[in-house]
Amino acid sequence: MMGASHRVVAMVTLVVTVAIAVLAAGLVIGDAAALGLGLPAVAVLGGAGLLIARTAARDEHALAHARAVEREARADADRLLKVIDNTSAVIYMRDVRGRYLLVNRQYEQLFGVRREDLVGLTDHDLFAKPVADAFRANDLKALAQETPTVMEEAAPQPDGTHTYITVKYPITDVDGHPYAVCGISTDITDRKRAEEQVRRLNAELEHRVRERTVELEASTRELDAFAYSVSHDLRAPLRTLNGFSEALLEDYSARLDQTGRDYLRRIGAAADRMGGLIDDLLNLSRASRAELRRRPVDLTALAEQIADELSHADPDRKVELTVQRGLACMGDSALLELVLRNLLSNAWKFTSRRATARIDVGAVRDRSADDGAVSDDGASGVFYVRDNGVGFDEAYAHKLFVPFQRLHPAIDFSGNGVGLAIVARVVARHHGRIWAEGTPGQGAAFYFTVDARPGTDGS
Amino acid sequence: MRDAPILLVEDNPDDITLTLRAFAKNGVGNEIVVLTDGELLLTRLLPADGTSPLRPAIILMDIHLPKFSGLELLQRIRSDERTRYVPVIMLTTSTEERDVVASYQLGANSFVCKPVAYDEFLRTVRTLSAYWLDINKRCPSSECPP
Repeated sequence: MMGASHRVVAMVTLVVTVAIAVLAAGLVIGDAAALGLGLPAVAVLGGAGLLIARTAARDEHALAHARAVEREARADADRLLKVIDNTSAVIYMRDVRGRYLLVNRQYEQLFGVRREDLVGLTDHDLFAKPVADAFRANDLKALAQETPTVMEEAAPQPDGTHTYITVKYPITDVDGHPYAVCGISTDITDRKRAEEQVRRLNAELEHRVRERTVELEASTRELDAFAYSVSHDLRAPLRTLNGFSEALLEDYSARLDQTGRDYLRRIGAAADRMGGLIDDLLNLSRASRAELRRRPVDLTALAEQIADELSHADPDRKVELTVQRGLACMGDSALLELVLRNLLSNAWKFTSRRATARIDVGAVRDRSADDGAVSDDGASGVFYVRDNGVGFDEAYAHKLFVPFQRLHPAIDFSGNGVGLAIVARVVARHHGRIWAEGTPGQGAAFYFTVDARPGTDGS
Repeated sequence: MRDAPILLVEDNPDDITLTLRAFAKNGVGNEIVVLTDGELLLTRLLPADGTSPLRPAIILMDIHLPKFSGLELLQRIRSDERTRYVPVIMLTTSTEERDVVASYQLGANSFVCKPVAYDEFLRTVRTLSAYWLDINKRCPSSECPP
């Protein structure tokens, strides 16, 4: 077609040239005869020329159109080629028998081949058999589907095997028969490696956590066994001490003088004290070991119940005890009862020398926490137990919550210094804080918070 | 039930003496049979040789015992028709929740902690014998064998 249009152009050019030459010859000669002779010839030639030219012009028009269409098609192909050549994805098309029809530049660069060299080759000409087999199997899988198939593929490269996420889909002819498969593969090796890294780190972490858990469980079991043994075996000899000194006092009192009887009482009392100490130690251990069950806790009800028990056990005491309404929090009821019991018992004990003892249980706004605060009804915030008892010197405040530390001589106030340690332990397990304010001779106040958020055990 | 014997299963000699003393102090006249291990208990309660079994008013049982633990013994006692309904009171030093729970799960009638203070123990024994020997009405032996 291109050759034909060239011929038309050449012919038209020839005819026009001849006509112009004849005309020019007549003019130059100036001869009428020549002109007379020449004009019909010119007219004939000119007519022929015009005829040819008109036909040629029509052809030229079609020709231009065809050229435009062709240019457009070539531009289209060019644009598409630019798209597939300038992506980081590897794109290729193979016919149903696995022979390459097309690859993009990324493919050429990746595998160091030129696209013109690939035509007609299959993966089995390019890759080791297992790799080629895998690609072929995936091609066949994609060919059997109507919609694109997503798969992971591994391809050998100079720096090792790379992992690709590949989309493959069949290319069909006008009748809908697949004649080729197109694949678009994206290198996800880095992602894979990162994933692998994360997986490995996670596995290591899990392994370490498992190890620690086993260790922790072992030590908890030991502590458990220890506490159990304390609970049983250490108390038995104390019963013997207390029991037989009591029996001696009862049965042999007449044979002992005042001092002898006093010694026996001391033995009995000491055994009894140690029994109490063991109970407190067990409570401290339980405060650490017991499973934390977080539920809504009515602290007002708990405090009132404990206050009732204290009054019943000591009916001669006159204590003005107030408990604010609606004190509530999320926590372990049994453990929080230990907190209130210890704080209230302390307040009760240390106000024993007051003519008018005062104990207040309540809540204040938590200024140190943004979200703490909450409501005037006492739900959440900072809880306190305040008394007007003997108080304490704040210089020793740091010793308050340490087991077996006492700020008052045993002769003045009984106790073994475990109670507040239990309180601190329980508060810590609730992710809370505890602190105390006091002035000697003017009373003490113990403040504590309880984290409302359910979460991991703070132990 | 002031005529049937009390069975005390206890291996600590001090505890045996003090417990016997506590019963005597509280005027409990029942015979008290002391068994120091579980094997003896099973032989007396569930004899295999045809000798007549012991039929106690109550069994006071420690948990920590040689050969069989009190909990194992409890299980054996409850799984035998002849002793299924005999009142068993766990009398132990343990205050551990798991012991309390296990005892009740295995069918103990009561769980009593031995206090360190002897005067307290005397009160405990007084209350305990008053309840189990006088107040509590046992199942008639025709319905549930003694």
